[in-house]
Amino acid sequence: MSDPAPSPTREGSRAIVTALEEAGVTLVPSVPDTWIGWLMEELRRSPRLRVIDVAREEEAVALACGAALCGARAAVVMQNAGLLNCGAVIASLVQLYRVPCFFLVSYRGDERDPVYYHAPKGQRTEPTLAAWSIRWARAAGPTRIGGQIREGLAWVEEAGAPFALLFSAEDLA
Amino acid sequence: MTPPRRAWLDVLVAGLDPRRDLLVAGLGANARYLPHLGVPVPHFALCDAMGAAIPLALGMALARPDRQVTALEGDGSLLMSLGTLATVAAARPANLTVLVFDNRHYESSGGQHLPAVEVDFVAVARAARLAIAERLAGADELAGALERARGAGPALFVLPTRYDPQEPIPPYSERPDEIRLAFRRALQAPGAGSV
Repeated sequence: MSDPAPSPTREGSRAIVTALEEAGVTLVPSVPDTWIGWLMEELRRSPRLRVIDVAREEEAVALACGAALCGARAAVVMQNAGLLNCGAVIASLVQLYRVPCFFLVSYRGDERDPVYYHAPKGQRTEPTLAAWSIRWARAAGPTRIGGQIREGLAWVEEAGAPFALLFSAEDLA
Repeated sequence: MTPPRRAWLDVLVAGLDPRRDLLVAGLGANARYLPHLGVPVPHFALCDAMGAAIPLALGMALARPDRQVTALEGDGSLLMSLGTLATVAAARPANLTVLVFDNRHYESSGGQHLPAVEVDFVAVARAARLAIAERLAGADELAGALERARGAGPALFVLPTRYDPQEPIPPYSERPDEIRLAFRRALQAPGAGSV
């Protein structure tokens, strides 16, 4: 089973780009998946965002921390598989040094995902975030995701902590 | 004779310029030495997060193109995250230099050997298309290498480093909050440029 074709409207993807731009994000380190690939088409069109393609997700986290320490804003974009890779760097860099770090995570394997092999990751994502003491939210659709991003970015700055916004394909449509 | 770590660090610190340099140290001996070396530039030392120093420095280099960022990394840490060299090469930060301390040991965890193969980090870095990748023979070559790499990176220099199990490496002496706040204060200091 494969992912369905992306929606031609992409209202949610454009809302994400606008929210990131308006919040002053300039760097978007990322490892792609299919859904993120759709989002990337919009992100790469932005003259104010620089997408940084990284080889592995832990690098994206460290890169975002380096930017934050220098007063810049980044948004880490990865699949939940990548998030599950990042436990050590989140604990030993983001949380240990209390660095703001905002994650935009494609939520594969939840009830909205038609692809069967993502299901085990989906079942473990929210319990893992809870175990790692990471605040998170599910995206609430294309019309609300922009506001959620702005709130999430403001929160990480205040808290000096990570926040993950989990999105599905329908949030990009 | 293979230089000791302090020989490399002393040359590095002596050449740092507060107006233009930033320094990142990966976990282990380099991070433990930094508070004792009178480092005159904003610096950030990791006490954990093995493998994170180079991408952390990359984020700084991209956020502050007006600064030359130098990352100190161990051979074991780099071996854990070799793919990061491709990430660095793709991002093309002209202002990033990586110094790899090559002593074939996990020094900070008790001196265990790395996997028993001599990895040619210069060859790996060249294969990843870094702009500069060289192995230095002695500490007297470091100052010139750093100057050559300034604004011409990304650069990687492998520093052959003597492993001495009796070396009195100081313990970690700064807390993470102190390190973060000191880094931010140093970046915002008069003459250092605002963030």
